Amino acid sequence: MTAPAEERTVIVEEHPTVRRYSLGERILHWFVALTFIYLMLSGFALGYPRMSWLYNVLGGGQTVRSLHPIVGVGFTVAVVLMLVVWARDMRLSSVDREWGRRLGTYVRSGHTGLDVGRFNAGQKGYFWYALITGVLLLLTGLPLWFPEIAALGVLRVMRVTHHVLFLLTVAGFIIHVYMSTAMFPGTISSMTSGEVSRAWAAHHHPRWFREHDPRRPDRTEPVYRGDNP
Amino acid sequence: MATELALNVRRRSATPASGTNIRRDHVEVSKLVDIDLCIGCKACEIACKEWNDLPVEPSVNTGSYQTRPDLTPATWDLMIFNEVERDSGDLAWLIKKDSCLHCEEPGCLLACPAPGAVVQYDNGIVDFNQENCIGCRYCIAGCPFDIPRFDEETGKVYKCTMCVDRVSNGLEPACVKSCPTGSIRFGTKEEMVAYGEAKVSKLKARGFEHAMHYDPEGVGGVHMSYVVPHGDMLPDYELPEDPKVPGAYFGTLSGLRKLGSAATWAGALATGIFFLRTGRRRPPPEEEAVAEAYALEERDEAAATTSEPPDADPYGPAGDATPEGGEPG
Repeated sequence: MTAPAEERTVIVEEHPTVRRYSLGERILHWFVALTFIYLMLSGFALGYPRMSWLYNVLGGGQTVRSLHPIVGVGFTVAVVLMLVVWARDMRLSSVDREWGRRLGTYVRSGHTGLDVGRFNAGQKGYFWYALITGVLLLLTGLPLWFPEIAALGVLRVMRVTHHVLFLLTVAGFIIHVYMSTAMFPGTISSMTSGEVSRAWAAHHHPRWFREHDPRRPDRTEPVYRGDNP
Repeated sequence: MATELALNVRRRSATPASGTNIRRDHVEVSKLVDIDLCIGCKACEIACKEWNDLPVEPSVNTGSYQTRPDLTPATWDLMIFNEVERDSGDLAWLIKKDSCLHCEEPGCLLACPAPGAVVQYDNGIVDFNQENCIGCRYCIAGCPFDIPRFDEETGKVYKCTMCVDRVSNGLEPACVKSCPTGSIRFGTKEEMVAYGEAKVSKLKARGFEHAMHYDPEGVGGVHMSYVVPHGDMLPDYELPEDPKVPGAYFGTLSGLRKLGSAATWAGALATGIFFLRTGRRRPPPEEEAVAEAYALEERDEAAATTSEPPDADPYGPAGDATPEGGEPG
């Protein structure tokens, strides 16, 4: 079962880490991230008089007003693309239900001890949350983009709804950024180089790790290392 | 008595605490359109175009005496003509001067997200400063009288300024100056209210039993009121019967802003405290973590070989969405 010693050495040397995200996935993620940051900052400028100094940072009020909806379309389209790319990985399963029961443990200790796959229930939940709010933000934003074609009452309700959705996404964004940077060291590299350490992968996503561990004891040849395997 | 000339700012759009008046008192100005005296000559339309140097625009004949169908970005004053047959069989020839009413509670200003694009002066004039306008058109949605008009070319919204440049120099607005019958009047708000009420009594004495002074309370009163002879026919004049500042709408927006700032700061603060309390969650050393991961697999395999169905295992591989594991790339 185990490969000869010299082949194992080659495998170990060539695979210090585990590939987590392909180049395409990372580009998609950063596109969503940057468009979201722009939308959040311009949203704060548009919605909060005390934050209107952000207009100047973002090129002036007219620029913000004309770019915000266009960037918004880009954001939502990219989030929907994420669904296409990750739909399979984001399906909920029985392990996710158990993960949900252990949410308190996860918050306290950062670990559930469950045999988690590529994404845990929290990540899946955040994905669906971002997808649904993203689509709703675009739909509620359309009448604000073209106010002359929307009925007055519709426009007002949509402006309020758009604001509520905005706050919900900002809350999600704060938690997402905190967890992927400060809370769990070794996570951000999955979105930069696309690689994570074996320790990180084995600890946070054991089942996914076993399937993709390049040094799996019964693996006899190096796995393909192209950018989009 | 020149405080109505000094353009102290009372409110500025999207700018908290923007009032500037330290004077003891201030005079509010107002126009009043006495529709009873209007002969429909449209001199005011011309005077508005001339004083404000607005371009002449091609129009269409709609079979009415009206200059054009609607206000435009460069037509800030338009006489609206309506011929209505009354129940008595009489013809009512209704004229309304359509231009900004300069509300005491301006819906446009409250809706505007661009600092200083809409300004309300202490004398009651509500003015748009187009250099600050971002072209979002929320003011149009905020106006109960459908007055502001968006210009595609400049990307800005325009409306009557009440000739703020004339008023601040001691002159009456151009439309007032040009009116040959004294139908459009100008003075302090008090004077206009007194005139309006006196004129309504006079009209009632003459048999216009529904005559009214149109100064709607729903928008806090206006700085261009009307004496309306047929007060029962407001929709025929194209005057809203009960215009209101959409209070629930602005109240909700303002509440959301307060909630949003509090929640965002609280969220950031809570995250910081959470970090101080729990710190960074490093994975265990590689060998330990890897051993644990493979141990989980063995446990699952052991569970799968027992008589229990795989689904009963809350975290068995068979129950997960991707038993083969999606290619992570």
